[in-house]
Amino acid sequence: MPLETATGAVRTGLIAFAFLSYLILIGIPGRIGGPALPVLALIAALFFWLKLRRESNEPSREATGQRQDSFDDKPGWEIGPRAASKGSRLRDLLHTHSGTAPILYGLLAGLTTGLLIAIVSGIFAAAMGNGIAIQPVLDKIVPLNVAALIGVSPGQIAQSDVSFIRFIFQVLLFAGAGVLAGLTAAGGGYGLKQAAFLDRLTTHLSGATLTSAGRFAGMALPFVLLAYIAWLGLPGVTAFGTNEGTVRLLLTLIATGSGLFTLRLSRPGREQMAVAVLLGLGVFSMPFILDQFQNSVMGLVFIFVMMGLGLNIVVGYAGLLDLGYVAFFAIGAYTYAFLSAPFSSPYISGLLILLGISPESPLLGYWMALPVAMLTAAVGGILLGIPVLRLRGDYLAIVTLGFGEIIRLFMLNLGELTNGPRGILEISQPALFGHTPVDVTFGLLSSQGWIFLLALVSSALVAFVATRLNESRLGRAWFAMQEDEDVAEATGVHLVRTKLLAFAIGATFAGMAGQLYAARQINIFPENFSLFVSIDALALIIVGGIGSPAGIVLGALALKGLPEVLRGVDEYRIVTFAALLVIMMIVRPDGILPSARRRIQSPDPEEAGAAGEPELREEDPGLRENGEALAKGAGVREEDP
Amino acid sequence: MTSSPVKAQAAGTDGRAALKQFTRALGVAIVLLVIWRVTTVGLAEGYPVSFWISQALNGLVLGGVYALVALGYTLVYGILFMINFAHGEVMMIGGITGFFALQFAQARGWMEGPWPVVVVALLLIMFVGMAASVVIGVTLERLAYRPLRQAPRLVPLISAIGASLFLQYSVLLIFGVSPHSYRKPALISGGLRLGDVFIPYTGAIIFVTSILLMLALFFIIQRTKLGRAMRAVAEDRSTASLMGVDVNAVIVVTFMLGSALAGAAGVMLGFHNTVVKFNSGFIPGLKAFTAAVLGGIGNIPGAMFGALILGLIEAIGPSALGIPTEYKDVIAFTLLVLILIFRPTGLFGEVLSEKKA
Amino acid sequence: MTALLSIQQVTKVFGGLTAVDSVDLDIAERSITSLIGPNGAGKTTLFNCMTGLHRPEGGEILFSGRSLIGLRPDEIIDRGVARTYQNIRLFGRMTALENVLVGQHLRLQASHWSAVLRTSRQQAEERAAREFGRELLDFVGLSGREEVVSTNLPYGDQRLLEVARALGSRPSLLLLDEPAAGMNPSETDSMMDLVHRLRDEKGITVFLIEHDMKVVMSISESVAVLDYGEKIAEGTPEEVRSNARVIEAYLGPEVAVQEAAVKAVH
Repeated sequence: MPLETATGAVRTGLIAFAFLSYLILIGIPGRIGGPALPVLALIAALFFWLKLRRESNEPSREATGQRQDSFDDKPGWEIGPRAASKGSRLRDLLHTHSGTAPILYGLLAGLTTGLLIAIVSGIFAAAMGNGIAIQPVLDKIVPLNVAALIGVSPGQIAQSDVSFIRFIFQVLLFAGAGVLAGLTAAGGGYGLKQAAFLDRLTTHLSGATLTSAGRFAGMALPFVLLAYIAWLGLPGVTAFGTNEGTVRLLLTLIATGSGLFTLRLSRPGREQMAVAVLLGLGVFSMPFILDQFQNSVMGLVFIFVMMGLGLNIVVGYAGLLDLGYVAFFAIGAYTYAFLSAPFSSPYISGLLILLGISPESPLLGYWMALPVAMLTAAVGGILLGIPVLRLRGDYLAIVTLGFGEIIRLFMLNLGELTNGPRGILEISQPALFGHTPVDVTFGLLSSQGWIFLLALVSSALVAFVATRLNESRLGRAWFAMQEDEDVAEATGVHLVRTKLLAFAIGATFAGMAGQLYAARQINIFPENFSLFVSIDALALIIVGGIGSPAGIVLGALALKGLPEVLRGVDEYRIVTFAALLVIMMIVRPDGILPSARRRIQSPDPEEAGAAGEPELREEDPGLRENGEALAKGAGVREEDP
Repeated sequence: MTSSPVKAQAAGTDGRAALKQFTRALGVAIVLLVIWRVTTVGLAEGYPVSFWISQALNGLVLGGVYALVALGYTLVYGILFMINFAHGEVMMIGGITGFFALQFAQARGWMEGPWPVVVVALLLIMFVGMAASVVIGVTLERLAYRPLRQAPRLVPLISAIGASLFLQYSVLLIFGVSPHSYRKPALISGGLRLGDVFIPYTGAIIFVTSILLMLALFFIIQRTKLGRAMRAVAEDRSTASLMGVDVNAVIVVTFMLGSALAGAAGVMLGFHNTVVKFNSGFIPGLKAFTAAVLGGIGNIPGAMFGALILGLIEAIGPSALGIPTEYKDVIAFTLLVLILIFRPTGLFGEVLSEKKA
Repeated sequence: MTALLSIQQVTKVFGGLTAVDSVDLDIAERSITSLIGPNGAGKTTLFNCMTGLHRPEGGEILFSGRSLIGLRPDEIIDRGVARTYQNIRLFGRMTALENVLVGQHLRLQASHWSAVLRTSRQQAEERAAREFGRELLDFVGLSGREEVVSTNLPYGDQRLLEVARALGSRPSLLLLDEPAAGMNPSETDSMMDLVHRLRDEKGITVFLIEHDMKVVMSISESVAVLDYGEKIAEGTPEEVRSNARVIEAYLGPEVAVQEAAVKAVH
């Protein structure tokens, strides 16, 4: 094996070690328990395999022997054109003698990782065995975690009863993982074939071609799942014996998510309509068949769908990056709280007496408060929108972020108005013809089911309005503004009005969501409205696919629903999500289900050349016609004074 | 949007001018309100002069720290035109690492030794914090920003938000929720008393160190070959690369310089505030960003003065306006919003535009 | 002929630089007028003053007898002054037809509520707008390209699409900023033909900046020349061609003297 490939392997091993130590430091082995070590080894194997696959597809730095010093360092996922351009030594190795080289590479990488992991865990174990507490410094390095890592019981560590055999076992396990990865990559290009299959599968799912049998099978999935969920709801039925609630929630999430793909799979027209109606029926029946916990999670998911759809108008349609969106959510929630909770601030009751309303609780029912909350949020949107009209891009993002924080700080500190950190308690529930929904439906609908149902209806309404607006001239004006603000204005778009409409409509939807959120929570506190709500809302539209309502639902399911299923790993929620955000930006910035319109089409090379040419061609006629009088730089004066 | 010409003309004559006048009137009103508030409430409280002086000194110390962090924002913005949202976390990492270095030093009794030992140990602690920040800053650039250099501007910003959250919560998971408290060595725990004005040693040290570090940075940028390359890349990235400047290397160095300053700020803030925890970089990061914007982002002296001004306003503001100190963050953010609305180029924005013109 | 557009003593200053210096110019209705001059002479700046992108320091711009000074760009296009750009500025991710629909934005009346409810009036308006958009694309020679995303169009077609987008607002005056720049001879010919048809079939007054002298001389009825922000000549193409100051501005003083000498000999 050539030396540069060997150093590459060692480096791969080091990177894997860095990643695994991170997992160890945040306490993953302790969480997994017994099978921790094999799981880590599998993760390492996966990483080695990906690395081998990537390096065999593109010229590696070692192989081409030159540094990538061009500043337009393209991300590695653009595999196609690169693979064709230059040969890689590793790739040659893989293809010509597809035997030992990748296996050796894997072995070397695995040995590196395994040795380091074994040494580090050995040090931890030895320190603990000798009574040195590491925990005050590294929070997650507790006996449980370290024990899981070396595959002994915590008691054995305490007695320094960790044998050398364990050390060897660890190293060998990782070396084995490396060999496995090498074998997979080398096995007659098996890995590559598999990757190609995966690629094809993704194309199929995004709706290109699929045989009709497979298509119908795929389309049946959400309905099968829904039926199974309903069946699970019958008394006495359990799934896999235990933890039935979470399983059912997970199935619900999958059913809803796959339903969205199903809609994409179905042919536009009558078939899609039929699928949509059936799916709608299925989804709307969920509040009745799920239990309180599952309903409360799904309710939260769809409250965030509303938020996402509203923010999508501002960010996705109008291209205004708003990081203070939580402000409108908070305005909606607090408006409803003021109107329906027993707490009453002297300011609010004074205002109400002035308006001739008795400040006795509850002041307004949910339905009467709805327009008030929406209107207040819309006014808030316009008031916050006016000062930032002239700002663009990053500046807008930071100012709106500042606004969001200001609102939260006011809620926290204006004790007389908002009751400060003590929050507002006992917010009343939305009624159904003057009765609680549980009474009206004879117990079929739980209180959380009712919230979920309301969230579903509101989301559907919001999605409907947002889509219709986007398809109208207003939507075109938003998109034009996003593409080029100056030209949009010169083409007849009234910038002030168009921007403020985006802010106001987005805020209205957030206000609706906030009101429902207040009803769901019953008690609200300023901490409910931190910056993270804005970031969650932004993240879910980005993960799902900016500009696409279906993507937003998917994003909300993934970001607000899945963590509830993974209750046990709740503490890793934000870290995972943050890492996903970064990876997503690098790998697929358009989101999982991007809207067709926003996707930036990659033009043919020839056409790209034609489009890229104007700058060069532009000077041509001037120079031709006007001779030497034209200095090239003089054009700057006219263009950009 | 109406086609009626009469109405269009009526709207036209107001139009943009009206909006401009409205914002201008709003600005004047805010200034008047502040002046009124200061004269009737703040000054009427009758605080002694020494109170104002100590507040102002506090503000300068805070401003010094903000300046170090703000320079990181400004350097990166000047070169990449992106807001390194995770820069506050880079500072926090410096603070956390500094804490462990301090623990190490204390366990060995260096902090109780003769004063030269203590000074060297303190410098080492700061150096360790800076090194940790540099490692994180460069890793951040390599993993989260470099692959996105050609992407639309929104994309790296979101990646930066993700990185910021990732760093915060990784520190939370690794080092725990509870704040880590710095124990000041006896040498720097006292203070200087000049009449009624009390100057803590840490404050004085922070201010002086910040100024020294800033001078060092200024020297690097103005007088060295590296600085010239940085300025060239900031001016025009592709031309610089055609002239043989290794753009990637320059960007990495920029991140290193910014992160080193942030690391130093993190350690010093740790000594000054005595605690660090996973989210203690977030608000100072935002403040430093505010300072950078205040001085005109991309403008190095602007960031320094912007930070000092912000520190002063934050320290004096609440008492002068006669409002509770909890509102000092509100003051900072309001200032940011107002600056961006009335003077998007920042207080020292002209310097930049003249240079570029 | 009455003047549709009257530029009176317009001055625009950037910092210390006077980009446009007391320019007077009248443009007759249904005429084709060219504005020429060396690079940096202030031609595009004058266009920007007319379309509200810049506010001139002094002077008056009257369109159909009413002032355009101080109006926002969207109000000016509403009056009937539309334009294209020197460096093409299409809405890149939109299709050709969508670009033209944005051009029609301010001619559409339906409220946003009716868009949500899809009232029959709003639907009829949208259909008419699409129909008109197709007509315009057909008019400029882009039929069949309606659904192509505009960045993927060839360069010449992008220029044509800019004209179609401007036509969407049903302008009475069209400002073309170097419409033939970077085009090959056959594309240039069809662009010249298009300019003629704009005036003859649509009755639109055309005011264009152009560097290609072949285009300028063959299509314009009158030509104005700017140099260093000042108008140095105005008249029919023949008058301008033989104007000594114009030759001097383009080719430098020595050449101008030589030309004069040559002329004197003849």
